[in-house]
Amino acid sequence: MVNFTVDQIRTIMDKKANIRNMSVIAHVDHGKSTLTDSLVSKAGIIASARAGETRFTDTRKDEQERCITIKSTAISMYYELSENDLAFIKQSRDGSGFLINLIDSPGHVDFSSEVTAALRVTDGALVVVDCVSGVCVQTETVLRQAICERIKPVLMMNKMDRALLELQLEPEDLYQTFQRIVESVNVIISTYGEDENGPMGNIMIDPVIGTVGFGSGLHGWAFTLKQFAEMYAAKFAAKGNTQMTPQERCKKVEDMMKKLWGDRYYDTENGKFVKNAIGADGKKFPRTFCALVLDPIFKVFDAIMNFKKDEAAKLIQKMDIKLDAEDKDKEGKPLLKAVMRRWLPAGEALLQMITIHLPSPVTAQKYRCELLYEGPGDDEAAMGIKNCDSKAPLMMYISKMVPTSDKGRFYAFGRVFSGSVSTGLKVRIMGPNFVPGKKEDLYLKPIQRTILMMGRYVEPIEDVPCGNIVGLVGVDQYLVKTGTITTFEQAHNMKVMKFSVSPVVRVAVEAKNPADLPKLVEGLKRLSKSDPMVQCIIEESGEHIVAGAGELHLEICLKDLEEDHACIPIKKSDPVVSYRETVSAESSVMCLSKSPNKHNRLFMKARPFEEGLAEDIEKGDVAARQELKARARYLADKYEWDVGEARKIWCFGPDGNGPNLLVDVTKGVQYLNEIKDSVVAGFQWAAKEGVLCEENMRAIRYDIHDVTLHTDAIHRGGGQIIPTARRVLYACQLTADPRLMEPVYLVEIQCPETAMGGIYGVLTRRRGHVFEESRVMGTPMYVIKAYLPVMESFGFTADLRSNTGGQAFPQCMFDHWQILPGNPMEPTSKPGIVVLQTRKRKGLKEGVPALDNYLDKL
Amino acid sequence: MLYLIGLGLGDATDITVKGLQAVKSCSRVYLEAYTSILTVGKEALEEYYGKQLILADRDLVEQGADEILKDADVTDVAFLVVGDPFGATTHSDLVLRAVNAGIPYKVIHNASIMNALGCCGLQLYNFGETVSVVFWTETWRPESFYDKICKNRAAGLHTLCLLDIKVKEQSIENMMRGKKIYEPPRFMTVSQAADQLIQIIQRRRKEGGELGVTEDTVCVGLARLGADDQVIRTGMLRQLVTCDLGGPLHSLVVTARLHPLEVDMLRVNAEPDALQHLRMIDSSTYTS
Repeated sequence: MVNFTVDQIRTIMDKKANIRNMSVIAHVDHGKSTLTDSLVSKAGIIASARAGETRFTDTRKDEQERCITIKSTAISMYYELSENDLAFIKQSRDGSGFLINLIDSPGHVDFSSEVTAALRVTDGALVVVDCVSGVCVQTETVLRQAICERIKPVLMMNKMDRALLELQLEPEDLYQTFQRIVESVNVIISTYGEDENGPMGNIMIDPVIGTVGFGSGLHGWAFTLKQFAEMYAAKFAAKGNTQMTPQERCKKVEDMMKKLWGDRYYDTENGKFVKNAIGADGKKFPRTFCALVLDPIFKVFDAIMNFKKDEAAKLIQKMDIKLDAEDKDKEGKPLLKAVMRRWLPAGEALLQMITIHLPSPVTAQKYRCELLYEGPGDDEAAMGIKNCDSKAPLMMYISKMVPTSDKGRFYAFGRVFSGSVSTGLKVRIMGPNFVPGKKEDLYLKPIQRTILMMGRYVEPIEDVPCGNIVGLVGVDQYLVKTGTITTFEQAHNMKVMKFSVSPVVRVAVEAKNPADLPKLVEGLKRLSKSDPMVQCIIEESGEHIVAGAGELHLEICLKDLEEDHACIPIKKSDPVVSYRETVSAESSVMCLSKSPNKHNRLFMKARPFEEGLAEDIEKGDVAARQELKARARYLADKYEWDVGEARKIWCFGPDGNGPNLLVDVTKGVQYLNEIKDSVVAGFQWAAKEGVLCEENMRAIRYDIHDVTLHTDAIHRGGGQIIPTARRVLYACQLTADPRLMEPVYLVEIQCPETAMGGIYGVLTRRRGHVFEESRVMGTPMYVIKAYLPVMESFGFTADLRSNTGGQAFPQCMFDHWQILPGNPMEPTSKPGIVVLQTRKRKGLKEGVPALDNYLDKL
Repeated sequence: MLYLIGLGLGDATDITVKGLQAVKSCSRVYLEAYTSILTVGKEALEEYYGKQLILADRDLVEQGADEILKDADVTDVAFLVVGDPFGATTHSDLVLRAVNAGIPYKVIHNASIMNALGCCGLQLYNFGETVSVVFWTETWRPESFYDKICKNRAAGLHTLCLLDIKVKEQSIENMMRGKKIYEPPRFMTVSQAADQLIQIIQRRRKEGGELGVTEDTVCVGLARLGADDQVIRTGMLRQLVTCDLGGPLHSLVVTARLHPLEVDMLRVNAEPDALQHLRMIDSSTYTS
């Protein structure tokens, strides 16, 4: 543990080429936090008093108790590379000391939004995979997000101890397991990333170049091929000359690494590398990875775990491992740990991998800029970001709010991408709704204080240059969750983050004591700040709704609300699901609505989207801000839209970017553009609150076929057109066979074979269905993947545990929307009941309003 | 019987004798209060007519017409409109509903801005299509009225521009929430209208289009026509931007081809230099 003063840290911050901002991402329970501990104990800065404390990054009491990470936490580390190792770095560098800002993020899907926020401020990611369970659903989700944000990944195969001790795998089997994991990770990278010619170059992971680590976070040991290549390079070189420059040595080691992976074999007797598994005399050679890397490890394990004391002592001596006096008396597992930790210290291997292979802000911001900044690619702000220039105007992104010890106040946590931020600096604070040139969502305020954030400790710091992660005091009152901070007057916003999960589960909350209502409202405000994802809404009926990604997420949010934010006892309703309203056919008639003054008439029809279009809009492949012609081409090519019509999309909705479209298919209507704004406003309104039960609409295309307008602008203002547009849209929806959509989880369950019967039973009872079932290679475990309606998922985890004797652990994540079969207009059908209940809950009139409320006659 | 009664432009006493008699005989009297206003309030009218008035806002007229027409077949109902019932604002929808319901109706006319504006000196024969100039919002900036003015001018016709009035308008948020909260009333002044027109002219000039109306076009600003303190001001469009004609309501006229007599009449209320640059096309026609 290095003990640095703030001044010393500040000095390193200026060496931008030697900064590494990285997140640790993985599936839940694959050992991120434990692994992070081993890094912190090796290189953590400042908090030396806390060294050795477990789960350093789990700062909350409930995190420690549940052994699950809920909030992402940043810590800084300092690591110095030797002269020899510096030669491995292919990007620019500045001295041998490195500042590593690491963010440990949660692995449970419900907290994916924390991962998203962490990824935004980092340039590299350490992807941790449990080598026994392999790549799981959450590994894929977070990795996909990382790739899409142009975050470079390196891989760590964790829990090797389990593979050796519990599963007793043979070296060749273990190699195959590793190889499979590397392949599945690379498949994800190539699916969602750009190819080798992309701006990032080749980002595939490969043990040969050292971007894959192996080891056990729990036991504190790890290695990449580099460690072994160095050993062997030294061994083989010892015969010849021993004096090499770092460059020569680097070359040698890199050559050796190439020999240690893949279909390369080792002739043990002659000490030679060969290309074929079978020699000229028919002898079988072992793979180099098995013979030279795994074999020594297996030997150590075998000797110690089987209590072959002499052999173990010999090995320890041979490997030149100095054990402490107290370690010498140990045997079995504790001894194994001590030996492995001395031989292949995890901190060393991982920190080398991180510093050598992950990009510095200087490298990363060049290619990340276009994804980060909404403005033109050549303005001052963009150039400042691209060049990571601390003299350029300040550009900083706030990715989340961190509660302070001072109740109700938050640190704004984010990264400086350009310029530098300092205490007292007068800045522009721009929320997500800020539009350049306007004053909305914009505040001009000085920064009260800049601070360094290290786990649960904070240190004031005078100023922080670009490329670094920092906390700000006093900004929280101007931003809800995220925002951009700048000194450049013409600056556009930094792009908002795209979350992989959506808040589909909601509960209504109320204060047990009605007099506490103001406290509840204040508490909800704070809750909404403290979590990147959670939504706190006030319904028409006055109900307070908290919406989250899943049951666990909500549970944590409500607990925080009760204990930290509102500090009052609260009552909560049963969880309910949000639905979407859609249509299943084209409107059966041309719908007409007249404006209140009867002078204006709108003619429209609705029809369902082509399959996949709604998802494309949510992914951003089809987007409101996209270039018009490119979008039209895409729609024409993929969905066979008429190009002319595709160019006349008026807007997306709700909120200007949702998965519903308003299209102008009129022919030669004069002054149509003068009512566009009002029709769009009516469309946003209707798309947000559909006719069935005021849920959002989804996957509906509305075509404006014709309009009749009063000749004079005053008789066709917003007051006339907006309500009319809404009415005609509702008429269109009602005449196009309306349907209700429900959210569906993808559930991944790991379990032994014996538990599978129970799982199928539970799933069937809850309208779920299994679509994939596979055995985890080399283990007795199975992985089941199924779709489960969110509506049916409440209490699913508990139900599953009790039906499988606690052997099955599900991970649920939102996957897609699916039509709830049945006609929602019939009060007795399943969707009909949902509609009635939802209307009742929202305090709406009973029953879906009849068509003649919206449809006028000519 | 449904009476549609024009109230004229000035104050309570502008109602016709016939109209007043009809009002006195009616069981319910509605005062339409959103397309125009009188310089005096509802109370002054009630006092003068000796009758309780029911304010009819946009909601009532457009959505609650049935309530207005209730029992109108057996009793007399009056619907009072500032100006003339079929002048600047038309209440055709109400009449059509009455006809459909088999209710007889009668219209009692009065002066309207559409004929009273003759007092500024421009001849009513020479007017083209009437337009409204609406308040712009940040995103909604219609320009269609400008095109119509140009079209009128090209045909040598003056244009009467009625200026936007917003009484009891909801903001979009309040409309969406269904809250009956109304914005404070706003009335467009001649100077605001001139300013919007000049913005359009400047934009079109940048685009390189041909300009039918320019900053130098002679226009007439009218305020509170028919009232004792009415104001008429003739000037070039650019001069009207800075004029202050006092309280509502305002109207604007954009002139086209002018007869010498019209020019003489305009001179009575003209700003200095306003008519200096008039060109003579022939002995009986001038233009700006």
